[in-house]
Parts: sequence; C-alpha cells; structure tokens
Amino acid sequence: MAHEVVRHQLPLFDEEGRSAATDDEAGRDRHYLPDLPDEDPYAAGHRTCAGCGPAIQYRWVLKAAGNDSVLAGPTGCMYVANSTYLCTPYTVPWAHTPIASGGSFTSGMAAGYEAMIRKGRYPGQYPNIIVMAGDGSASDIGLGAISGALYRNHDALFVCYDNECYANTGIQTSPTTPYAGMTTFTPFGKAIPEGKKLPPKNLAKMMAEGHPHCYVATTTVGYPVDLMNKTRKGLNHVGAAFLHCYTPCQKGWVYQTSMTVELGRRVVEAGLFPVWEYDLENRTYHYFHPPVQRPVTDYLAMQGRFGHMLPEHVATMQRAANQNFRDMGMDVPAELVAGEDPEHHKRLAEETYSMPLNRGVGA
Amino acid sequence: MTTVHVEGGLTGPNGAGQLARLARGSRTPDGEQFLAGLAGQKLRLNGCAAAAYAALYANVDVIAAYPIRPYTAIMMNLSQFIADGILDAEYLHADGEHSQLSAAFGAGSCGARAFTGSSGVGVTYAYEMYSIISGARIPIQMSIADRTLDPPGDFGSEHTDALCTRDMGWLLGWAATPQEVFDKSLIAYAIGEDPRVLLPQMVVQDGYFVSHIAGEVDMPSAVAVDDYLPPYQLPFALDPRRPVSHGPQIHPEQGPPLQLERARAMEDAIPVIREKTDAFGTAFGRHYTHFVEEYILADAEIALVISGGHAVTCRAAVRQLRERGIKIGMARLLWVRPFPSDDLRQALRGVKAVGVVETNLGLGGASYGGILSLDVTTALYHASPKRPLVTAFMAGLGGETVPVAEFDWMAGKLGQALQRGSVEKATHWVGFEK
Repeated sequence: MAHEVVRHQLPLFDEEGRSAATDDEAGRDRHYLPDLPDEDPYAAGHRTCAGCGPAIQYRWVLKAAGNDSVLAGPTGCMYVANSTYLCTPYTVPWAHTPIASGGSFTSGMAAGYEAMIRKGRYPGQYPNIIVMAGDGSASDIGLGAISGALYRNHDALFVCYDNECYANTGIQTSPTTPYAGMTTFTPFGKAIPEGKKLPPKNLAKMMAEGHPHCYVATTTVGYPVDLMNKTRKGLNHVGAAFLHCYTPCQKGWVYQTSMTVELGRRVVEAGLFPVWEYDLENRTYHYFHPPVQRPVTDYLAMQGRFGHMLPEHVATMQRAANQNFRDMGMDVPAELVAGEDPEHHKRLAEETYSMPLNRGVGA
Repeated sequence: MTTVHVEGGLTGPNGAGQLARLARGSRTPDGEQFLAGLAGQKLRLNGCAAAAYAALYANVDVIAAYPIRPYTAIMMNLSQFIADGILDAEYLHADGEHSQLSAAFGAGSCGARAFTGSSGVGVTYAYEMYSIISGARIPIQMSIADRTLDPPGDFGSEHTDALCTRDMGWLLGWAATPQEVFDKSLIAYAIGEDPRVLLPQMVVQDGYFVSHIAGEVDMPSAVAVDDYLPPYQLPFALDPRRPVSHGPQIHPEQGPPLQLERARAMEDAIPVIREKTDAFGTAFGRHYTHFVEEYILADAEIALVISGGHAVTCRAAVRQLRERGIKIGMARLLWVRPFPSDDLRQALRGVKAVGVVETNLGLGGASYGGILSLDVTTALYHASPKRPLVTAFMAGLGGETVPVAEFDWMAGKLGQALQRGSVEKATHWVGFEK
C-alpha cells in the first residue's frame, strides 16, 4: 500500500520592526535580522565576488530552508563561482544541471521523492526541493522548463536569482536587464546611445498569471526577513512556488561592493522592482509599499552600467518607475512626475548632480 | 530548523551501503493482481507495448513523456497502466525532449528508477543531456523507436537518430522483435544499474517495423523479474541524510583522468553485459548471445553485418541464398555501444568479404555513406591473420523496407568483390546502382 508523504511546515520569522516597513529613513537599518537558525547549508569557502548579491540570497534561502533540503543549480555564475571539483560550499545535497534544465531537473527530483516515499523506498519526510536559477536560465533558455514545472505543480521551490545579466559569461544582456543597462551585448555608442533599447521582461508576473495555482512572490536582498519568509512560504505551499529575487551583481553593474543591500532597497524605493506576493485565493497582488519613494536617479547614480544615460533615457526610466508605482496602488509624488520630462534631467545634470561614480563606465 | 531523518547504520565504515533506500518499491494491489494474472502467458504485443510492459515489470518510479511518433505508444501504454492503478509511478508531461531527459536525470539522481524515450528529432532535441547524464553516471533508461531525422518530415524508421548519440557514453543496442524489446529493456536496466557500470541505456527498436507490428511476448512472473533486477540503489544519490555535490566545475588539468574514467566505464560494462545476459537466460529461459548474433556464419565466405529489425528479412534472404549454394551468413549487432570489436572479429573469423547494412546516414564520413561501417571496418582492421574486405550498403533509408531482393543484390556485390579481390567502392547505394 502507498506510504504517506509527510511534508515540512516551517514557522515564519517575526517581521515586526525588522523589515523595511518602518516609516523613517533612519529606521530602515534597525534590527532587520531576527534570531536566525544556526544552520548554514551554504557555507563559506566559495569564490563569489566581493559584494555578490546572489551569494547573500543563496545564504538566506538555505538558512530558511534548513538541512533537510535538496538543491539544484543550473549553469550560471553561481555554478562556476560556487563549485570547484573536490570542494563544495553546500552542506546539503546539490547537483549541477544544464542551464536550460533548472525546472525540468528539479521536476524530476520532486517526482522522484514523491514516488520513492509513496512506494516505501525512502523513509524520511519529503525534503525541501529547491532550485536557484539565474535570470538567464529562468527567463530565457530555461523558461519553458520552469513554466512546465510550475504548470505540473511539483512540490518544489523555483528561485530566480536575478542579477539582470548573464554575469558568468562576462555580463551579456538577459531579458531582465533593465532598459539602458549597459552590457557587453548592449554597449552604448553613437548609433545606440542608450545601450539597451528594450524594457525588461516581467518574469514574475508571467509566472503568476500563467500558473495561478502556484505561490509566486518577488523580493530583494535588501529585505532578508522578507526573503527568508517568502522562501518558507514557498516551501510550505504544497505544490510549486516561484520566487523572483533581485540580487545585485557588483561585477556587472559596477558599484561599490558595500552597496549590495542598499541597492536591494533603493530599487524598490525607486519603483523599479515592485516587491509583491501573489494571493492565489483572490488572484491579486499584495504589493509592499516602500516607506520612501525616490527618483530613479538615486538608484541609477550608484551604478556604472547606467553612466552613459542621457536625460531622455533617464526620463524614460522614470516613466516606467512611475507606472510601477501606480500599478502598486501608490501615489506618485510631483517630483517624480516631473522626472518624466527630459528637461528636468538636463537641468539636474547642470545644477545638482554629477554622477561621480559613473565616470569609469566603458573605460 | 528542519531535521534530517537519519537511519541507523550510517556511522560504520560501510555506512553508505546501509541506507534504508535499498527497499524494493511497493506495487499497487491492482498491479500485483494484474501481474499475477499475466505470469506464464503469451501476449501479442507490438514493440512499443513490449517496452511499456517491461517498464511496468521494472516497477519504474518516474516516467518522463513527450509525444513524438512512433515511440509515443510506449508512453500511451504506460499512462493507461497508471490510470488503471496497475503501476504506481510519477508520470511527468515534459515540455520537450530536453526536459524529458533532464527530469529523468533529476529523478535518477535522487535514487528513483526513471524511464523516458523518444524518436527521430526528439532524440536529437535532447542532445545536450546525453553526455551529462552518462558522465554523471545516472543509469536511466531511454526507449527509442527509430525515426528518420528531418528534413523533410518523415515518419519512417532510420537508425540515424539513436546513432547520433553513439559517442555520448550510453549503452546502446537494437532489438529486432517485441520479445527482444521486452527482454532487452530488463537486461539493460540490470546492466546499467549494476554498481560496476552505472550507465544510462538506450534500448532501440526500429520504428513501425518493430514498434508497430505485433509479436508474441512471454510474460514472466513479477517475482522472477524482481529477483533478476534488484532495487535501484545509486551509491551517491541526492539524499539529505548523506549530502553530496554532483557535477562541480573542474579545471582543465582535472579533465583527462575524468574522461579516462568515462572511457573505462564503457569497457568495464562489457563483462557485466555478458554476465547479465547469461543470468537473464538462466532466469527466463531465453538465451541471447552477448553481443553478436551469428546466423549461419560457421562456413560463410561472405557476410552481412546488420543491426535491428531488418535482420528478420536478412535471415530469410540468407537462407534462400544458401539454398542456391552461396556461402553467406549474417552477423547482427545486439549492442552498438560498447562496440563489440572482439566478438565481431570472432564471429567473422572465416569470412572473406563483409557488407555492412547501413539503415542510417553519416553524411561526409570516411565511407561517404553510413555510420556503422566505420566501427565495423575499424574492428576488422585488427583481424588476424587476414582481414576481410569491407563495404557498406545504404538501404532502408527514410523508413523504406529492405526486401529480400536487395539483400540478394548485396550478396552479389560481395561475391564480385571476393572474385576481384577488392571492393568496388566503400559504399553502395542500393537501388541506385547496377
């Protein structure tokens, strides 16, 4: 007879006063870490860059998941930087998969454990089955496989660590690279002054709309408790879960290495990466409303990849951000509306700011 | 926060072998009853159904399916077994062949017995996965019913699809009848899952000629199959009780020893193939030669080397030619990987001219014809004391039949070569030449 498949239910962390949901700017930085589990299944000793956003995300996700986890990692920077033959940062079982196989390999792991437990071939609880795929893997070459896995509703967590480029191969554009983001496949020049011309693909919305039976959420490394709680909610959800996590790439974006977590908040405060949770009962999005709303320039000015932007490009970016704020149900302050006009930025360029960090771009 | 359930016995020096995972997978009550009713019967099954029955007997845990003709019928049979409650397995509707192979790979990596399959361009769509799965030493099984590669679209059988993967480290062999499909599927799992081997297997049958023509298939008892094919036990499964990392990045200088290991895995499979083939004969009463079927080769001067279902017609042609006094025989390759060089030389030891029947396309190769003759020629180059003449015959392409008359024509060409003391050309296109 079939054996019962017993699944984990992980308790959530207390977010009160620890997330970014405090209303004063200084308060953003207070007490954002609750008492964390001692387990650290993503151990030290890997070769990620200083300030690596994906490494921070990997650590929080695996801390939240714990030791009874099985992990897959499609090809990407977090394959190459993490695993070196005869050495591993993982204290949980981990397997490399081809870049297009994140969704499908993980489906197989989930199906394997379902069948083995049911048929009495594995004595434990159903483990946390997790894949962390880069944005190239998740939104480009492996999109179909992840969509297939979500559609089939395997009990697994599919995480996209989004550093907005193919970082492993030397910073090429991916579908989530922002408009005007400079990459080695979207350089700026006289003929194409903005670098990347296309707006990014909305991966998480595509996953939520297309697979409304799944737990789908977005988060950033700027909100560790939110990240860990969404990880646990995704794992607790019986069925497929998709978590889209914004993870800055110091090498690809050219910023000061200490600013990774700060970028994870500014991107939300600038309206460029809405943080939300999909409510699958009511088929609505629960948006996080950042306590601070900033002009996009507060975000762009920190990164070399935007250093070539002309006033009209900044204005285009501000229009997209303002639209995001409206989608999130937030009012758009007059200053941000003014930023939709290129003249606004011409004036600023002359009078107010000089984007000191941007000088080195392309040099 | 989550705790890992650890079985006793993990601490000893052989702790890894003590995992409770060794348990045999349970069958459903309906499955037990169904298989008990089948034991000892002869069913009329086509090759696809035979492959599905073998997977049912093997009590596979995960099946990854995607439709393409003609192998699809294997998956249709299996989905019905599951719908009827006869087989307890996760049936995964993959989004393409690459995902099929990836999912089977993931399941096999966790310790589940995984089954998948494809045909034609489906086989080539998944190409990235073949080297990865064999290199990871995950012994999943892929059941292939041959189909010609595009262009243009053609449902007919041609061996090119599976042969494209021949150097990717999988065990690869053709079955010529539904009974052989059934038997070979079980034998292949037994070989591949053996801890001395741990290699994925392709069990191939000709599309339509075997996959869709019914033949009688003996149904064994489930107990006999369970005894022959022990529970799948991957020594390094992705298991939270004993964490391992699979497939980390290497430095170039670490490559040669790993590649050597993969090459040796193929060679090391050879004695296990012999052992499991013999054990199968003992258990089920059907005795196969290990690698090469020798058909009237003892006194043969000329011989055809062939693989797959066309061997059935070839045997009839050989018999008729023998009645006319022509000393011809047939050698059929039961496995193409690992390639049975020793067994083939032994089978053809007295033969003076050999023709390789190519039901495949190897464009621009050394023979400017097919794929199989290159391996056959290399194997025979080392024959002693005198190597035979070798030529290739392109026949049955696009799924065309290879009638007796074409085998007669091939025999004629081999006879002429024998008289002349040399072959006319490396490759003959049957039906396009006089």
